[in-house]
Amino acid sequence: MVQRPASAHPNALPAPRRAGATRLRRVLLGLLGVAAFIALWKLAYVFNWAPRGTIPDPFVVPAALWREYSGGRLIPAIGSSLVHYVWGLGIGTLLGFGIGLLAASLRVFDDAHYMLARILRPIPPLAWVVFAIAWFQVSHAGAAFVISIGVFWVNYFATASGVRDVDPRYYELARAFGHGGFFKRITSITLPGAAPSILSGVRTGVGQAWMTLIAAELLGVPGMGQEMNSAAGVGAYDAVVVYMLAISLIYTLSDGLFALVENRALRWRP
Amino acid sequence: MTARRKALLTLDDVGYRYPGSDRLVFEGLDFSIGAGEFVALVGGSGVGKSTVLRCVAGLIEPGVGRIDTPSRTDHGTRPSAVVFQDTRLLPWRSIRANVGYGLSGLGLSRAKRDARIDEVLELIGMAELGGRWPHEISGGQAQRVGLARALAVRPHILLMDEPFSAVDALTRTRLQDELLTIWQRLNMAVLFVTHDIAEAAYLAERVCVMRGTPARLVFDEAVPAPYPRERDDQGLNAFAQRVAAAL
Repeated sequence: MVQRPASAHPNALPAPRRAGATRLRRVLLGLLGVAAFIALWKLAYVFNWAPRGTIPDPFVVPAALWREYSGGRLIPAIGSSLVHYVWGLGIGTLLGFGIGLLAASLRVFDDAHYMLARILRPIPPLAWVVFAIAWFQVSHAGAAFVISIGVFWVNYFATASGVRDVDPRYYELARAFGHGGFFKRITSITLPGAAPSILSGVRTGVGQAWMTLIAAELLGVPGMGQEMNSAAGVGAYDAVVVYMLAISLIYTLSDGLFALVENRALRWRP
Repeated sequence: MTARRKALLTLDDVGYRYPGSDRLVFEGLDFSIGAGEFVALVGGSGVGKSTVLRCVAGLIEPGVGRIDTPSRTDHGTRPSAVVFQDTRLLPWRSIRANVGYGLSGLGLSRAKRDARIDEVLELIGMAELGGRWPHEISGGQAQRVGLARALAVRPHILLMDEPFSAVDALTRTRLQDELLTIWQRLNMAVLFVTHDIAEAAYLAERVCVMRGTPARLVFDEAVPAPYPRERDDQGLNAFAQRVAAAL
């Protein structure tokens, strides 16, 4: 039987060229989607699809960006938001990870706290804003507190379920090779075995923190949320869009950075 | 008949019942393994062969009787090491790191640990593959790595739980021959659990058979064939038939 070479097929391209063409097509279609969205936005502005003045002209956004930057509002607002973000994310992640690990590793701790967790879990992070203001006033600490609550639950559940899902046969292996003690078992089996779930929780928390952050700042804590609120108060909706795009950019950067860390840490996966 | 050597491992009237059950899986197990001796433990499904091995490894406590294992070991070694049927390589560790898993905590310097890993990787013919991840190697190679991990701790007794049952026939044959070469070179005792009679007869110096409910030791004889052995050796086949009859 004569075999026809794969490249003889009329639609066949060498693999790298085919992959390159697919990627280019995807980028072009993606740009087309963005352009279509901007066109729709422009139409909404021109034909007043919302109450007059509440939809800014998309083409004035670059000018608004320059205005916010040169007016000395954009960078300090980003800086302030990042302070809330880093503290809220850090504290929520560490506590969620630690308590999730304890819950899945120590039966007595799990028994003692599961009912409390069921009571507290459904309370949205923003419901804590009242207490945040009462305890920390309108401050960085208050915003970080509210952010950390949302991040905490994400990491708590991701860590606990990841640890519970570690194959118990690995623990037998650890005992067979002298690593049966609590510390060695945790470091050589539990943490690496649960790492995919733990890191996935951390990454979800990275996004969750931004969502809670803006809502927390809308209440007056300095940052991008407060700037958005102030701009909307004077009808400067173009500035609101600037802060929305800034959030999108920073989230994309932080998520991309974390994805690199995650891929590096989990490079052992097929 | 092999000359009896000084007992390294002794099971004295050992029995076991699963937690929460009042039924014994096996009982009255009395046998010993001498230093450097290769013993195969054969039995049908559910007789508790692997449970015996877990008791010997100290992974579970026998409910009845007593097991004497080597309690003192030289610096940098462990009394026993297990080779699992499912290889149980840790997917987040490289092949080298898997092989070295049992070495931490033995008081060896980093250089000595590395040398030990190099030595056993060389022994199993995988010196070039130490940097790979477990998902990047074949089933037969994974079994070799599982063996290397056990050999790295220089155990007095190697405990093997149906280690070749999940690989294809050709690979199994190769692995069996490699195991014999390694055993003869390192002169350690081996307790080899299997349900494959031909494998037990080909590999071991002595074959023990468990049978019944609760299971007992019903057969314990030396294999009447010197090494190196031929797989189609008539004496070996006749012995295998006697083992089969005892099952």
